[in-house]
Amino acid sequence: MTSRRQLLKSAVLGGGAGVVAATALGSLGPEAAFAKAAPDVEPGTPDPNFAEGRIRSIKDNTLFVLGSNWVFHRIRVVDGTSLWKLGPVAFDQAKPGDGLYARGVRMPDGVLAAESVWFNIVNVKGHIQNITSEKVHLDHNGKQILCHLVAGKSVAVYSDAPPSADLSQLRVGQHVQVLGAWRPDTNEVDIATVFSPH
Amino acid sequence: MHGIAAPQPYVIALFLIWAALMKLLSRRMRAQAGQTALARLVGAARAVPALRIVAVLELAVAAALLLPPASPLDGVAATALCAGFLLYLTYGRLAAPASSCGCLGSHARPVNWRGFGRAGLLLAMSVAAIWAGPYPGGATLVAVGMVEAIALLALSAELDHHWLTPLRRLLVRVRKPLAVVSPQDIPLEVSLRLLYASPAYCSASAWLTSDVQDTWDEDGRRFVVYAAHGRTAVFAVPLSGGDPSAVRVALIEEPALT
Amino acid sequence: MARSQSTDPPVDLLGPVQGEVSWFCCGAAWGPCSTTGKGACGTCNSGSLQHAWPNTSDACWAITRPDSCGVGMSRRTCGFSHRTTALCSGTSVVTTIADCGPQTDLFCGERSCCGATCASNRLIDLTPAAYSRIASLSTGLRPCEISVP
Repeated sequence: MTSRRQLLKSAVLGGGAGVVAATALGSLGPEAAFAKAAPDVEPGTPDPNFAEGRIRSIKDNTLFVLGSNWVFHRIRVVDGTSLWKLGPVAFDQAKPGDGLYARGVRMPDGVLAAESVWFNIVNVKGHIQNITSEKVHLDHNGKQILCHLVAGKSVAVYSDAPPSADLSQLRVGQHVQVLGAWRPDTNEVDIATVFSPH
Repeated sequence: MHGIAAPQPYVIALFLIWAALMKLLSRRMRAQAGQTALARLVGAARAVPALRIVAVLELAVAAALLLPPASPLDGVAATALCAGFLLYLTYGRLAAPASSCGCLGSHARPVNWRGFGRAGLLLAMSVAAIWAGPYPGGATLVAVGMVEAIALLALSAELDHHWLTPLRRLLVRVRKPLAVVSPQDIPLEVSLRLLYASPAYCSASAWLTSDVQDTWDEDGRRFVVYAAHGRTAVFAVPLSGGDPSAVRVALIEEPALT
Repeated sequence: MARSQSTDPPVDLLGPVQGEVSWFCCGAAWGPCSTTGKGACGTCNSGSLQHAWPNTSDACWAITRPDSCGVGMSRRTCGFSHRTTALCSGTSVVTTIADCGPQTDLFCGERSCCGATCASNRLIDLTPAAYSRIASLSTGLRPCEISVP
């Protein structure tokens, strides 16, 4: 185990608690937490601290991304950036052609210093047309999306019940929401979570 | 040709009568008229009257096909109507791909290959009907008619919930295609949902500035790490037990990461 | 003819209302969003602070039918602003209506919880830019409070 993990583990087991100690938060202050809610961006307009698009190329720790409205983004990934591709991943998992959403802080030079990057994340709602071997066939606005069950990763959340790795309670004909990772240039998705209303 | 043509008028007519009655009598269908390609063609306000006009046309052609005297013109009328259907579907696919057909039922799903297949089959049957004489006989021709009727029904997506969905449900019950084979690894998402339910997460969530940075399992716990305004928030989530109050959290000032 | 709406006053006119919030993509973006289009208002974009509302028109209401879940929502049209606050974290975002949704009646009674605070029924959908301001996109669905800023 890395020394960073050792440090974090001993901190939470030694000094951690059921809730965050007020003293630990004191220097942060509530204004830091609610800074995100401050009206710095006009509602309805593009958020400069957010980027979406497909990766065109990767150089060092920077992702060069072309947005859907032809805007070009440079997204810098640092040690503190969280990266998601069906779960937390390392930077070497980023590939040209991946779609992404990124949230961070826009620097004066136009680069987005990323706090979080989600690769190929999709959140589609639709009717289950059919269920075949480890696959859910989803009808999403008339288009079929093939959703793959990934052993050890996919879970089903049935309303507010604890999530289960057992997806067998899903029924053909019901409506669900699938949060997962799109397989680029296909109509297929790897399932992270299936939300079922019952 | 004369033989095969014989049952066509009956199958086509029954199908047209059914489609017409659905358009005239189904309140749900009228309620969803605004989402059909027909509404796109004539305007949403005229969609329901347009549906009624189409229904009357369908009834008229069905009557011509069923009632004596039998004439090749009956088949020609049916052919013209079915050619119109095919053109309408093509228009819908090109001009309003997300719109539904409004042909037979009240489902709002867009037109797909089955809709085109059905319209194509009806057109072929209508062309054959031009050569149909009166009063067909024989078990073979009845069988032909029944096969065509079944094909039309199978191509009608509006009817799936009567037979296709129950069939698929039965197959899923039998085959269990999503059964968990080796439930050894507890997916991360299970731990995260427990985390979201915990007082620890509630107290810290306003300060989190990233998604999960890192996670690992040790000693029956799953450690989950987030960034928190320049600091690091680490949670210890029990891997078994499922008690949200057992989740622990700490906010740490880490040495600068180079 | 669209069915008439519930005769009870919409709950969001009486004050903030609690429900579930999810996110959706719009605009000609990547993945399954490539053919989604710019939403019912013609302006929707994944990178903008916008949301979908279940009662933007009669046609919209006919699809979403929140009254089927016992919730009446007021008629608000394109460009109207709402504030969505994540329950238990308290972070919020103000967005404007750019589309019709979510399909509330297909998820009636579904509940989400943050800590011990729970809310039922999907009442609002945010763009990825807006949702990521109050929660991680990977959470997919969260309880929230909707108010008028």
